[in-house]
Amino acid sequence: MSQFLQATIYGLLQGGLLALIAVGFSLVWGVMNVVNLAHGSFVILGAYVGWKLNSAMGLDPFLGMLVAAVVLFAVGYLLQRWLINLVINGPIFITLLLTFGLDLLIVQGMNITFSADYRSIKTAYAGDSLALGSVRVPVGRLLAFVIALLVTFALVALVNRTRTGLSIMATGMDRGAARLMGIRARHAYALTFGIAAALAGMAGTMVGTVGTFNPAAAGGFTLLSFVIAVLGGLGNMYGALVGGLLIGLVEAWGGQYLPGTWVNALAFAVLVLVLVFRPSGLVGRAYYSARQEV
Amino acid sequence: MTPETETEPTGSDQPNGTEQPSGTDQPTGVEAAELGAGVRSSAEPVWRRWLPFGLLLLGVLVMLGAQSQLYSGQERTVAAIFMFVALAQGWNIIGGFTGYASFGQVVFFGVGGYFTAVAMSHWGFNFWVSLVVSGLVAAAFGALIGLPLLRLRGHYFAIATLGVAEGMREVVTNVPGLTGGGAGISVPTVGKDATTAYLGNDGFYLLFLALAALSVLVAILVARNKFGFALRAINQDEDAAAAMGINTTRAKVSAFALSGLVTGLVGSTYAFQQVTIFPQRLFDVDITVLMVVMVVIGGSGTVLGPLLGAVALQFLSEYLRRNFTEVHTFILGAIIIAAVVLLPQGAVNYVREARQSGEWSLLANVRRYRL
Repeated sequence: MSQFLQATIYGLLQGGLLALIAVGFSLVWGVMNVVNLAHGSFVILGAYVGWKLNSAMGLDPFLGMLVAAVVLFAVGYLLQRWLINLVINGPIFITLLLTFGLDLLIVQGMNITFSADYRSIKTAYAGDSLALGSVRVPVGRLLAFVIALLVTFALVALVNRTRTGLSIMATGMDRGAARLMGIRARHAYALTFGIAAALAGMAGTMVGTVGTFNPAAAGGFTLLSFVIAVLGGLGNMYGALVGGLLIGLVEAWGGQYLPGTWVNALAFAVLVLVLVFRPSGLVGRAYYSARQEV
Repeated sequence: MTPETETEPTGSDQPNGTEQPSGTDQPTGVEAAELGAGVRSSAEPVWRRWLPFGLLLLGVLVMLGAQSQLYSGQERTVAAIFMFVALAQGWNIIGGFTGYASFGQVVFFGVGGYFTAVAMSHWGFNFWVSLVVSGLVAAAFGALIGLPLLRLRGHYFAIATLGVAEGMREVVTNVPGLTGGGAGISVPTVGKDATTAYLGNDGFYLLFLALAALSVLVAILVARNKFGFALRAINQDEDAAAAMGINTTRAKVSAFALSGLVTGLVGSTYAFQQVTIFPQRLFDVDITVLMVVMVVIGGSGTVLGPLLGAVALQFLSEYLRRNFTEVHTFILGAIIIAAVVLLPQGAVNYVREARQSGEWSLLANVRRYRL
């Protein structure tokens, strides 16, 4: 029983972090209809920024992640503004391929710069754990979980309550009408992409603090973002949160009780089943309906 | 690339004076030829209809002749190019003609390869039987997953197929009794267990050449028969196609199964060539992406595009691997980005459109999908 509880706690904590990664991915997909295959590489890039700040200047990763967010926001904004916007109206393979090319570029760039060695951001406290009865809760993961939830809620507030956020939503709903209302669509798209990259970068620093990372891990985060975004329904930010927690739990339980690496197949089985039976996601209505998108 | 495109204008000029007796429908004949294979009028000269087949035959004969001039390392490289020609043509049927971006196409490659390896090592099939059965199994698998998945559109289809491919890799990894799991499985090639003698560099060169030729032949046939028109109609507007009386489900599932067949045959041959295969390689998402890149760079929905794209990209990739081993993936990424931004509709479609409109500027081309 305590094993089950331990797995559940671990799954929830990991799920919060996954949700923070996926919420930006889902937003970009919902607003721009772009599936960003480079999303996982933003996570790892953020982890390297936090790691570099920590190892060179001794900056605490939970402060370093703010720097990572700023750096990744700039990277994301510029990429969208000057590159992805060039092909945004093309057929879907075009944007898929473009972001795949970006992924190759960033991952290989990191391989060349930082080598393929596993890294981890060291802190004095992240390895400690609180004991709740028989269950142990690692401090670093708990902190990461709380921050991930807070940032996700802050993003929802930003999108729903501020003029900038509303301009992003409006552009996503009807770009033509939004432009007629004086919204600069190129800027709104670039902001969206920048925000998504910033959140991925923040999450990346925390991923590096609670575990290890190397450039090759980027692909896994992209795939998990897919699964979570689909589970939650596109552009639905609370959906991404629910999807993230769910996937975290599924992976933790699967890892505990399934033999071999069947746990890896589990996430994809869930993905395909959800797509076939409930393509608008598990939570409420999706931003776009799967079967009417052209 | 250039010789192919150069032959087109001279080809359409020739009938003007010589072969076409009635001068009245000449302008429409030329115009129709400009629009490409899909919309040629029935008034086109007979030789034009047979031209693609003739060029294919010529290409095969040239490559057969070239074989004796290559030493074994080059032979392997060229065989790999043939392999990617066949893979790109296979993807082109579902992704190019039909417009369904299958991002899990490698699953057919893996299913074909693993069926062959298992059939040869466990069940004592000989290679030629396994090859055919593997193709059929991959096609059946395509039909099976196509029925539910082809109801999805756009990104959803892309991601669902990706999920199937990744999931299949895990399934294959987790039944070690049959597939050897992550440690891989070996096809017996020597001794009394060998059901078919290993084909060697020469044999695989010929086999991959045959597969490439078959895939191009399939593409030519699809491009000009009624089935291909149905697929193109679905690509342009699926609801309108259904309203015109096309059974879209049947057409899409057939297209998916056909592309699965071609890809499965290639996977089967690849497995025998490699002798030992691993799930990581046979279900590698990079193989799917290479197919997509080749088709998109060459020109999706055309016969020539995937052929040119596969040859160009595989050649380039091999060159980069030889000369810039450290950074070759990095450069490849940059090339993909540049190609997608500058030639989003693919080289063949770009040339075709530019000849019609007279607008050759790449910068003007960038404007087409820009926000």
